[in-house]
Amino acid sequence: MKRLLSAIWTVLSSRALPPLVCGVFLLIYIGIAFGTDDTLIALMEFTRKSVILKVLLALIPLNSLCLMLKETDRHLKRRRVKNGEENDAPAGLFDESITVPVSPEFDELLGRLEAEGYTCRRTGGVLAAWRGSSIFPARVLFLAAVFCLFAGILVSLTSRSSHRMNVIEGEPIPTAKGEGGLVERIRLEPSSGAILDKKLILEVAPSTAGDGRKVFELYPPSLYRGYFVYPRYLGFASIIRFSAPGMQSASEIQGTLNIYPPGKEDRLEIPGTPYQIVFSMAKPDDGSDPYMTGRFTLLFKVLKGKDVLFRGNVPAGGEFVNEGFRLAIPDFRRMVITDFIQDYGVLLVWTATLLLIGAGCIWLPVRVFCPRREMVFTYEHDTVNACSRAEGRIRIHAGVFHESLDLLEARRSATQ
Amino acid sequence: MVAVKLIPLLFSWFGIVLVLLRGFSGRRVPVAATGVVGFALGVVGAFALLRSYPGELSFGIVRGVVAGVFLLLWGTAVAALYRNTMREFHVFQGEKLVNASFYAVIFTCTTSIIAGAVCTCRLPVTGGTILALLLLVLAAGILVLAALAAEKMLPASLTVSQPALMAAVVALLLFSASSLIRLDLFSPLSMKVMKFAHDFVHQFFESMLIPDHLFIRTYLWGYIGLLFGNGVGFWGGMIIWFTPVVLILLSIRFELLPSVAHIRQGAKRRKLLAAAIRERRIRLVIPLLALLVFAAAAYRSSYPSVEYWDPTPVPVLASPAGEIVIPKQGEINLEDGKLHKYLYKQGGKEARFFVLLNPSGEFTVDLDACAICKPDGYGQAEGTVICYYCKTLIPLETVGKPGGCNPVPVPFTVKADGVHIDALTMINTWGNTVQATARIKEGGK
Repeated sequence: MKRLLSAIWTVLSSRALPPLVCGVFLLIYIGIAFGTDDTLIALMEFTRKSVILKVLLALIPLNSLCLMLKETDRHLKRRRVKNGEENDAPAGLFDESITVPVSPEFDELLGRLEAEGYTCRRTGGVLAAWRGSSIFPARVLFLAAVFCLFAGILVSLTSRSSHRMNVIEGEPIPTAKGEGGLVERIRLEPSSGAILDKKLILEVAPSTAGDGRKVFELYPPSLYRGYFVYPRYLGFASIIRFSAPGMQSASEIQGTLNIYPPGKEDRLEIPGTPYQIVFSMAKPDDGSDPYMTGRFTLLFKVLKGKDVLFRGNVPAGGEFVNEGFRLAIPDFRRMVITDFIQDYGVLLVWTATLLLIGAGCIWLPVRVFCPRREMVFTYEHDTVNACSRAEGRIRIHAGVFHESLDLLEARRSATQ
Repeated sequence: MVAVKLIPLLFSWFGIVLVLLRGFSGRRVPVAATGVVGFALGVVGAFALLRSYPGELSFGIVRGVVAGVFLLLWGTAVAALYRNTMREFHVFQGEKLVNASFYAVIFTCTTSIIAGAVCTCRLPVTGGTILALLLLVLAAGILVLAALAAEKMLPASLTVSQPALMAAVVALLLFSASSLIRLDLFSPLSMKVMKFAHDFVHQFFESMLIPDHLFIRTYLWGYIGLLFGNGVGFWGGMIIWFTPVVLILLSIRFELLPSVAHIRQGAKRRKLLAAAIRERRIRLVIPLLALLVFAAAAYRSSYPSVEYWDPTPVPVLASPAGEIVIPKQGEINLEDGKLHKYLYKQGGKEARFFVLLNPSGEFTVDLDACAICKPDGYGQAEGTVICYYCKTLIPLETVGKPGGCNPVPVPFTVKADGVHIDALTMINTWGNTVQATARIKEGGK
């Protein structure tokens, strides 16, 4: 049982595991690519449905956790060895370990190492020398980032649910259980930011179910009853009255038109008739944004089957009449086509991004300007155990370490 | 002419044998003998395959094998990097296997079979005649003898590590395959990368709930738009193409030096380390050469020496009834199996299309554009048409079927006097297709 657990631990904490898992997913991706053009979407779908693939993907965050534990343990062990609290340095803890039968001429060695720029500390029979900073904090941040990233992807793949709804000015915000607060106002404003061109603001009044007043903007998206509010497209909700020669009475349709930006077309079918109306928004001559100003003219073409009967334009709130056809738009309200997304993986991926940036900001300067180099000499039973390790500038450090050993050897020869 | 076309492939074969002989230097004779046998097996196997399945399937199988070998190189490169640069992986469990005789034989045999199959695919359509095959095997045998002689002249210090051997062999196989557009890997790889980048950006935006282009500044969207262009496909393809060899180079360059802490003479230590570094540098030579061969293969793929049949579009007019009629016979023979391009103009609009009699004897009329790429048009070569924009090859058998990078089919009827096409349909289909692909119109031909 112990051997089995040890083998499992070895596999889970191996640095070879993530590339292996990624390799398997790459092979599956290649396999899928033979069958479909939408390979990435198909792979995501496969992973969502397959328990094996989910477990395989889960190995990466698990591996990050195990590595974090393993590397923290090694780091602490190294500290204990350096402080003289532990004499046994397990294999692999240092880059080089050697036992030499010499007397501890540590005073001269200490002076030599200090002259080389090392900070030295002598505690009993232990001499520790080090310089630079360890990348251990950056490494822990990196592993935490990998954990968050892949855990986020896994959570996202397995539990994401999304509903596309229309959020309309003057109507309650759509929710799964109803009783959403009233959407008081939808505003589109110019933005001065470097990334977003426009600001979209949805103001929602407190609901009878107990939700407070909410204001939703574009990014980062806010939560409403556990769902991210993710605005996708803009349009208008309208009431359209249409009558044509031969129709007994005018049809009144409440429809939504996804016609933003100006020029984008949307189609509305008149139920019970062969007529369809294709709407778009005219681009104002003054260059203003009709969604922002609320002043706009609708361009339309009326089709019977596939034939275009006529084209025209009508201002919001206005009416168009032509050869017995009548089209009126008495009511027009702003609308945002919105995805309500329940996906907590997103939070983990955002965290991963921050952690990765943090790790990079620590790792680069430390690795370039002051990498950790350390050596420990422990005198015990007429021998010195010497260990050395470097995270950068390895050869120069190794040279200093070897010369230190030479010095100890030379002093022994001199005393004999 | 065929012999001339085979020269680069035979040159690659010579290179493969040379590297194998040096890589398995203790087993020259078995390697040489296995090489000849394997090559002959590959030639016979590919010949049988091409005769049994003359269509795209045979080439697809050979190309799949070459792609598999490339993937294997990726795995080897990653493993080499881990093994050489991390102490916990420094002990290689498979050392015994790699040093065994049967490993050398199996490695050589597999390589030779693939090399033989690739060479056979270069022969005329169905794999050539028996005489051509015999001559090919004979030439391969002579080259093995030449490689045996040449290998003895190489400096003894020029050693080849197992990953470097793999890199060199795969590079030469890919170089051979790149001489045939139907076996080429780089262009389809670029296409797949382009598609992946597109899908990834889309999925990333959706997953991270990032606002759509409606709300993003135009200049920024312009930069994001670069990710959808074929430049991403090309450069992404280049990264995937070269990375395994670069990883192998890095694995050798950053290989851990031997521990010299036990040596108490500084001069001796420095001598040992210097020797290890020198030996490490020499081992970089073969992967560096492999890198050059990879570059040559990518170049051949991007600028193939194949001459595409790409006729100038012939202007055509519609009848008063709005029909374009293209006679089967006349100045242009529609039944010759070649792609024939036409240009139809109506008012300020124009549409470019082609008529082709496919291998199953049926006509197809298609736009000289696909539904994905910028309408740079198609050329015809070696049983395929190629999209000039993304270099995707479309087998003649599938021309006329919609989807992917296939030319967009246009409805038509075949009558006794020729092929009849509705002019309005043609103009509308062209208009819709070009409008849909307008987003990637930059830098057009």
